[in-house]
Amino acid sequence: MSAMGRIKDSMSITPQEQGRFKIGAGTASSPLPSGPGEQEAGTKPSPPLASRLLEPSLRQEDSGPVYWRGLDELAQTPQFREWVEREFPPGASEWADGTSRRDFLRLMSASLLLAGAGFAGGGCRRPVERVEPFGKMPEDYTHGVPQYYATAMPAHGSAVALVVKSNDGRPTKIEGNQLHPDSNGGTDRFAQASILDLYDPDRAARFAQGGNTRTPEAAFDFLEELGRKAGQNGGQGLAFLLERNNSPSRARLWKSLSDQWPQARWYVHDAVDLDIHRRAATLAFAKPVEPYWQLDKANVVVSLDCDFLGSEGDVHNHIRRFSQRRRLEKPQDTPIRLYLAESLMSVTGFNADHRLRLPGSAVVLLAAALAAELRKPGGSGVEALAKAAGVEVQWMAKWVAACAVDLAANRGHSLVMAGHRQPLEAHLLAHAMNAALGNVGQTVLFHSAPEAKAGGLPELAQALKAGEVETLVVLGGNPVYAAPADLDWAKTQRRAKTVVRLGYFEDETFPVCDWHLPAAHYLESWGDARTSDGTLVSIQPLIAPLFGGLTELEVLARIAGARVTDAYGIVRETFAGLCGTEAIEAAWRKFLHDGFLANSAAQPVEVSLNEAAVAEGLGRVKPPGALTKERLELTFHRDYRVDDGRYNNNGWLQELPDPVTKIVWDNVVLMSRKTALELGVKNSERVEIKLGEASVTGPVWVQPGMADYSVGLALGYGRRKTGRVGRNAGFDVYPLRTSAGPNIAIGGTVRAAGGTYAISCTQSHWSLEGRPIVREANLEHYRQHPDFAKELDAEGEELPVVAPFYPNPFDQLKQKGLHQWGMSIDLNRCVGCSACMLACQSENNVPIVGKDQVRRGREMHWLRIDRYYAGRPLGPKESPEAKKGFLETFRTEAEQQYEAWIDDPQAVTQPMLCQHCEAAPCENVCPVNATSHDQEGLNVMTYNRCVGTRYCSNNCPYKVRRFNFFDWNKRPIGKFYQGPFGHRAADEWDLLKMVKNPDVTVRMRGVMEKCTFCLQRIEQAKIAQKDKAGASGDVVVPSDSFTTACAQACPAEAIVFGNLNDPGSRVSKLKKMDRDYPVLKALLTKPRTTYLARVRNPNPAMPDYYSTPSSLEEIEQKMGGAH
Amino acid sequence: MAVQTSVLEVARPGPGGVVNVPEPPPELERAPLVANNRSFGWLSNRVASLSEDAAPVWWWILFIPSVLALAMLFLMMSYQISTGVGVWGNMHPVMWAWDIVNFVWWIGIGHAGTLISAILFLLRQRWRTAVNRAAEAMTIFAVMCAGIYPLLHVGRAWYDWWLLPLPNSNSIWPQFRSPLMWDVFAVSTYFTVSVLFWYMGLIPDLAVLRDRAKSRVRQFLYGLFALGWTGSNRHWSNYEKAYLILAGLSTPLVLSVHSIVSLDFSVSQLPGWHTTIFPPYFVAGAVFSGFGMVLTLLIPLRSMFKLQDIITMRHIDVMCKVTLLTGSIVGYAYLMEFFIAWYSGNPNERFHFENRALGPYQWAWLFMVSCNVLIPQLFWFKRLRQNLVVVFIISILVNVGMWFERFVIIVVSLHRDFIPSNWGYYRPTWVDICTYIGTFGLFFTMFLLFIRFLPLIAVSEVKGVTPQADPHHPLGGAKEGVHHA
Repeated sequence: MSAMGRIKDSMSITPQEQGRFKIGAGTASSPLPSGPGEQEAGTKPSPPLASRLLEPSLRQEDSGPVYWRGLDELAQTPQFREWVEREFPPGASEWADGTSRRDFLRLMSASLLLAGAGFAGGGCRRPVERVEPFGKMPEDYTHGVPQYYATAMPAHGSAVALVVKSNDGRPTKIEGNQLHPDSNGGTDRFAQASILDLYDPDRAARFAQGGNTRTPEAAFDFLEELGRKAGQNGGQGLAFLLERNNSPSRARLWKSLSDQWPQARWYVHDAVDLDIHRRAATLAFAKPVEPYWQLDKANVVVSLDCDFLGSEGDVHNHIRRFSQRRRLEKPQDTPIRLYLAESLMSVTGFNADHRLRLPGSAVVLLAAALAAELRKPGGSGVEALAKAAGVEVQWMAKWVAACAVDLAANRGHSLVMAGHRQPLEAHLLAHAMNAALGNVGQTVLFHSAPEAKAGGLPELAQALKAGEVETLVVLGGNPVYAAPADLDWAKTQRRAKTVVRLGYFEDETFPVCDWHLPAAHYLESWGDARTSDGTLVSIQPLIAPLFGGLTELEVLARIAGARVTDAYGIVRETFAGLCGTEAIEAAWRKFLHDGFLANSAAQPVEVSLNEAAVAEGLGRVKPPGALTKERLELTFHRDYRVDDGRYNNNGWLQELPDPVTKIVWDNVVLMSRKTALELGVKNSERVEIKLGEASVTGPVWVQPGMADYSVGLALGYGRRKTGRVGRNAGFDVYPLRTSAGPNIAIGGTVRAAGGTYAISCTQSHWSLEGRPIVREANLEHYRQHPDFAKELDAEGEELPVVAPFYPNPFDQLKQKGLHQWGMSIDLNRCVGCSACMLACQSENNVPIVGKDQVRRGREMHWLRIDRYYAGRPLGPKESPEAKKGFLETFRTEAEQQYEAWIDDPQAVTQPMLCQHCEAAPCENVCPVNATSHDQEGLNVMTYNRCVGTRYCSNNCPYKVRRFNFFDWNKRPIGKFYQGPFGHRAADEWDLLKMVKNPDVTVRMRGVMEKCTFCLQRIEQAKIAQKDKAGASGDVVVPSDSFTTACAQACPAEAIVFGNLNDPGSRVSKLKKMDRDYPVLKALLTKPRTTYLARVRNPNPAMPDYYSTPSSLEEIEQKMGGAH
Repeated sequence: MAVQTSVLEVARPGPGGVVNVPEPPPELERAPLVANNRSFGWLSNRVASLSEDAAPVWWWILFIPSVLALAMLFLMMSYQISTGVGVWGNMHPVMWAWDIVNFVWWIGIGHAGTLISAILFLLRQRWRTAVNRAAEAMTIFAVMCAGIYPLLHVGRAWYDWWLLPLPNSNSIWPQFRSPLMWDVFAVSTYFTVSVLFWYMGLIPDLAVLRDRAKSRVRQFLYGLFALGWTGSNRHWSNYEKAYLILAGLSTPLVLSVHSIVSLDFSVSQLPGWHTTIFPPYFVAGAVFSGFGMVLTLLIPLRSMFKLQDIITMRHIDVMCKVTLLTGSIVGYAYLMEFFIAWYSGNPNERFHFENRALGPYQWAWLFMVSCNVLIPQLFWFKRLRQNLVVVFIISILVNVGMWFERFVIIVVSLHRDFIPSNWGYYRPTWVDICTYIGTFGLFFTMFLLFIRFLPLIAVSEVKGVTPQADPHHPLGGAKEGVHHA
């Protein structure tokens, strides 16, 4: 069956399913529609959701006054009717001849058609595109009006509550569920990009036995047979390998199956093990609990290698809470202070006030020293730590002491967190400190988390080797690629007589399976999950499975003997047991509509510290020993984009610049300047990394802020068997990763392997060069100079003293606009997570261009996150190849890696998008008027009119315009240069089209494009308001009733968009703040996007304290002399 | 010169018989514009024979590769239009690169012709007659090469006509504030007037070729384009008036076209582009490169076509001096840009100029300064101006230098602007290079056809500047011109 055929089939939803969809539909209708009559009248219990989701256009009678053509029409006089009939002289409307007028027209059109056919045969014409109408019109469906459904995305044992937009039955955009009690509507990168996975043409699309396609029925028969056999022998020889997941339904099926078949064995494995938080908490408090951090309640946070804003679980919630505590409305507010020790430079590292560069293996020493210091000031343990950090003991003692004092001063309002890469001991120490500081129950809660009776992968390997497993059922995961190297999984798995696997891709694990079943995407399946706060959320499908995929629940149910699986029924049954009410039907409907079960969050558990366990853990802490260039520490880290490899075939994520390195489509060997210098390697050079017998080869990348002798290796790349997107991306580090050292391994060596490797990086220049583009100050400075951001306007930017010679025509035009759109971006809240970039990509049909084109500087992101480093000493030293003094600014980008200031840099991030300048430099240089201003302050782009001179981009000082150098949409990556001969495969094309937002033009080659402030959303809001206003004439869109895709996705609420004409809108208020500043003010472009300066909150008692942030210091040093 | 002196003595009878006029010292004496006292007939024969005789072997040797390169140009254009601008190296932030560099470079080359034919005509610089025809042809072909780029470099070349103010149902008018719009008018006007001017000057010479033609085809074609020229007084009178008017029309165009091209840059606000010195500086640079190209073309031509008596060392010398002057103006402009960058106190401006000299594209800047400012200073020495090999090499270096000047202005300004996260490094692709080579194919194909089929020298005008054409000259009317066999 062709791909298109499959898609058509899946778009046709059975009536039964449609009914369910109706239940889920929650835009304009009341949450519990009992009949069509109730539609409009129903009260809206959820104004925030309803207002976020735009109203569909109203019925005729509501749409305003009726006009008449004359007073006679109003009077409806017979004369008037006669006149209407007889506008032309009597007889004109009749055809006197025997042939009727109708016949004549028929004849004429037939002959025209024949003539036209002749031309069409030889001429150029548009390709035929068929629009297929609905066979049966679904109820409540208005063509062109999107529908929104609440659902959730399972994520590493937790879930993200979502609202998904559906256009004509295809999901197109993912948003966070703002109604959810533990969400502000923000999401993370993975949730935003997961929609592309749904339409991945390389998904597993068939039932296969030994690599040969089988009918689904054959596979179902096999599963049934499997279950029957297990029923006979109590599950002897049957093993299940699962991924971590907190679906109550899965737990219920699991339980019932294991009750039924006590001999069956269950194993759980995740390539990135976030379960350590639960294990550590359970050990520390001698109770089955897991921590739930409440960063919004903390004043001081100490992170022990815990990248809670980047690579831990539930990141969007941490970002939300953390940013909430970085909100600064007035100088008196005190933002949260973050101490961080880590080996890699992470997103959390960007946001730390004090960052200690420390090998990951030595972080536990810091934990011990800090704990000792807290117990007894002047405590021991600092010597080993100082040695590991490569600083003097005195300095380190001061660091630890001041940090401890700060923690102690914020009893109950501090928080110590240990990261998932850290060993159990570090976690125990963190728990002990939190307990000692009275933080338990305040900034960290503990939720009950009973341990599943399941083994891990090593136990399964043992069982397999012992021949105890006859049938292995692998549900999810890709163990052949991602299992620890020492388990030699490809061989080990073969020990089972039969392997059945439910997989999303026909990947590395595929050839080692006897039966392969295609997995359904979460947007295609029924399910349930719990978010990190314990709230039960529903997973409901927005589309029937495109390729007939199954869910875990369905597979388990089939093995359990169900002939007709009904995931809907399973989930509903689970819900019935959990909802705790008799009125199940109403509760269920509300559950699906809202997406969650209200008041189902977990209750915090009273815990007390198990001193003995902690003491025992403390006893195990020992210095990792000196690291040298012959004894390197290797850190295997979860990648910010492809996770553990599961998103390897997702083009949006592959092309998303890594939030730290800004590298796309690859992973690299991260190391510090000093390490690279000692090893004699430099950026892009290929090196061989050896650990024990295993070795892998990858390119070097000198990363500012890396701990010395520590090498960062991102998981998830170098896939041997993957789709056409992920092929040839990066190198595989799993061969180095063993069960003994899955996160941090000591004893690695690196040597040059010869040759270089082309790396594509979207921002190769690291320094701000002393330009006040990003402005920041310390809290003290801000309190003394609340206007510091505005004062910097004069710094390095010569402000013209005269008004422009010619008046700006927009100044008059804007009087006519009802709304004036603007945006404010709070740099103090932005953490640089990059979820906004993907939200923009998804909303605005932004294409991907591939590694080669990014390398040529042609990435298409309308919104980018600029990341700058600033550090002391400002001048370079130590490295022979570094340019000195005055010449330093004129270094090539390759020379940055030799400069000493990158060792301990401070980092800032700045979302950069079209600034919608009131005096836009792009507009007056366009020779064809393709970019112009509307009266509401938008700099609009007319794609149809654009001829592509690219002058606008040259004249844009922010360089936020993007040019379609090729037909990015029409041609696949790698075939751009083939021009008209480069065709996309039909299956790829069919699916690719489905992910597009129908409200946004898909741009062709040769035209310029850029951020539109989500013009389509603005227009939808305005049209909806006009419909609603009717005769009242109140057509001003209500304050903050909708927002742009980036702002909506931002969990930090750093981006705020709205109407500047409305003094009550959030953006108007933000723009009045003292920290507000425009970038490049001196050019008098008058941007509509302004930024709120960042304020750091360092501790003056710390040895690494400076009274000014490095970037500000640099501004003063480099630009101060210009006056 | 002995012949002339003796004639002078005879021909200046004073009231009291033969007056002995003292001979001017030889260093004050100007070399005649046509050497060896060539007669009118010789001039006609010499120039007409270039298109009447069989093509020399060297012509074929140059013509065949030129046509092949021209074919490559068409291939490259088809590739670019069918596939996208991406086949070039243009990138974000360097959205203009070789396309506009080559456009400005070719336009600049196209400056000398009209300057020579119009401004020097108005200034009564009689030496222009020997070189103006070739220089004007060069101008036209260079503007053709230049014109390809703006038409080709846009993303959707098939919509180029949207830059014209054509009424349409959407009432969308071009944006008259855009310098690109001004370019459309400036370049097309310049091209039109240059072609008219060139053709106008060709008419008397075409008539000569028509009259000498032996085949019917030549007679017909030359006759067609000679527009019935008979050489009557009325014809000459109209011709001279029209020529003067066209010269007057072209003169502002010489100044306007490159000034307007320079506004493409100075109207923007990019450091390195946004500067008021550009219009005069671009014109000087254009004349500089134009003369460089004229020298590059004429030095080999005069020896291959044995035109040493018409394009004399004096011509070469004068053109070297113009090159020296304009090169020095360009050098002054470079200095002034640096001075203003420092004096303005604008840090972005200052950074940009320091980055030109010290940044990643330092090599391009060094090429530019040495070829445009330092090397032409050698023309202070007469011995070097008289050494054809030196002049030829320098004339090529001038064009290389001017190419790098445009590269520095366009690419180096764009590659590092206001916000450091945008910075990038541009590299051309093979398509960029082949397209550029292709424009040479177009240029040389046209130029070689020109020297084969049209009078390379404006014969009628050169005749006008021979000593014997002067009515006051003892040999006025050239009746007794000396014929060298």
